[in-house]
Amino acid sequence: MKTLELQSLTRSFRDVKALDKFSLSVNQGELVSLLGPSGCGKTTALRIIAGLDHQDSGTVTIDGRNISEVPTHKRNMGMVFQQYSLFPNLNAEENIVFGLTMRNATKIQKRTRASELLDLVGLSGLGGRYPHQLSGGQQQRVALARAIAFEPEILLLDEPLAALDAQVRYQVREEIRRIQKVYGITTIFVTHDQEEAMSISDRVAVMNQGQLEQIDVPQKLYEFPSNPTVARFIGSMNEIPSSIEGQKVKVLGSLKSIAAESEFKENGDIVALVRPEAISLSNSSRAGVPGVLTNISFLGPISHLYINLDDGTEIKVSQSSHQVPRDIKDGKIFLSINSDSVMVANA
Amino acid sequence: MERRNKRVLYLISFLYLAYIFIPLTAASEYTFKTSVQGKYSLDNYRSVFVEDDFFYYVLRSFWLSALSVFITLLFQIPLQTWLHIRQSKLKSVIETASLLPLIIPVVAFAIGAQVAMPMFVQDSVLELPFLYSMLSLPYTYRAIDIGLSAVPLRTLYEAARTSGGSWAKTISAAVIPNIRGAILAAAALGFALCIGEFTLTSLLHWDTFPTWINDVSQDSVLQAITLSVISLILPIFVIAGFAVSFKKEKRRI
Repeated sequence: MKTLELQSLTRSFRDVKALDKFSLSVNQGELVSLLGPSGCGKTTALRIIAGLDHQDSGTVTIDGRNISEVPTHKRNMGMVFQQYSLFPNLNAEENIVFGLTMRNATKIQKRTRASELLDLVGLSGLGGRYPHQLSGGQQQRVALARAIAFEPEILLLDEPLAALDAQVRYQVREEIRRIQKVYGITTIFVTHDQEEAMSISDRVAVMNQGQLEQIDVPQKLYEFPSNPTVARFIGSMNEIPSSIEGQKVKVLGSLKSIAAESEFKENGDIVALVRPEAISLSNSSRAGVPGVLTNISFLGPISHLYINLDDGTEIKVSQSSHQVPRDIKDGKIFLSINSDSVMVANA
Repeated sequence: MERRNKRVLYLISFLYLAYIFIPLTAASEYTFKTSVQGKYSLDNYRSVFVEDDFFYYVLRSFWLSALSVFITLLFQIPLQTWLHIRQSKLKSVIETASLLPLIIPVVAFAIGAQVAMPMFVQDSVLELPFLYSMLSLPYTYRAIDIGLSAVPLRTLYEAARTSGGSWAKTISAAVIPNIRGAILAAAALGFALCIGEFTLTSLLHWDTFPTWINDVSQDSVLQAITLSVISLILPIFVIAGFAVSFKKEKRRI
């Protein structure tokens, strides 16, 4: 249970900057997700923390101790990989205690720990099975048990759920969070799946082009993205073309004020970013701008409605299924929003 | 059509086996012949086994070959693992260089490699295992390379390293057990090649089992053929031993 600090990490692969002065601070016992599109540098950051890759500049510290030059095997960090990465010649129990074997633990210590961890990951009685005799989810549970068996200071998870199917992914995700909380291990979780990151993390760090865009608790990140890049990456977002007139933007009938010192120019083209659930629907013409309902996706408790505006812009609206207007004539529907929920970006 | 293909396959297999076994059988049959027409005995084998030098040279070739295999594996497994994980560009250069013992004439190879060795090795028969391991490089390199390419090496390596394995422990606990088949293949190939090596040994004026057979052949052709059959059978037993231990290991896995 340690505090991890990355200070101004830079790593280039030829001309491409995978990390560009990337800094991050992870508190003791916290689970922080590194979230971002492919190639944003999140795996590079994780590999540098593990010592599997080396930064061009910057430092990695644990509790203030600089470990940048410490070799991988002496960093005492557990890691779970995307591929199950179990040793095919060892059974589940032997895989779990591999780290203890490397540390010359006694047979009794290993047996006790393996049994405890097999229980913890719900694989009691399967310790004698070899990797090829286990399902993907079971293999990843064994990999998780192996990563925490030697009580690492930091747990690193490199897209550990990516190779699993949806149902198993959900189960293993919950398991990871439960175990992380039980042991209170400081954890870094790399993923490109925002739902995964939001559901499992104490805080989410959104990365783009090797830099940290924003780090915050999932709810704040969703509700108050610091910039359009984060807003676009976290959750679903409608992009409605608009323009600025008199320091104001008109979006779906509402006016949003723009600060005088903002980067946006008068009469310049901009896009208004609006969350699907921030839009209200009504079949009354007094309630906003008109549109034509083209499709409804029913997902149980919520429904997604797709509406075409007169200028051809398609708007996605998410509503509780029981709130979806019933008596829509010829698909004609009216949209309105609260201007506070609008974010503005350059077109 | 399927049946016809099968017949062709059987025919090719038969011809291939005949190509290997007919000369071997003929030579073996010859070693059992006596001066009396149509009568067979073990006299030739008896005469060979009572030779003072027989066991000396067999054992000498055996341990030189075993040492050569050990040197081969000791250097090649870590080197090739490193090449696979870290140096993909250098890997193709080393791969090409590993073919050089096939291209360079043995005379040039023998003199060149010997001169490159420290003096205390040059003066000892221990230079042979080093030279043998170089000579068998084209075959042993590929056997190990195939094994390393067939496993998710980088993942295994990184999993072992992050679990606390030093470089040496990673090689011994995570790499070697997962390429055991390739190691056994390389060992078998290397051993077979070294135990029968004549040209290089003779050029450097060392005596091993093959050079001793050559000496014996000056006096008795029949004995020389008997020894040749033994020198053929010996590696076959060793390779069979490797194969059996591999199968046992595989079953355990």
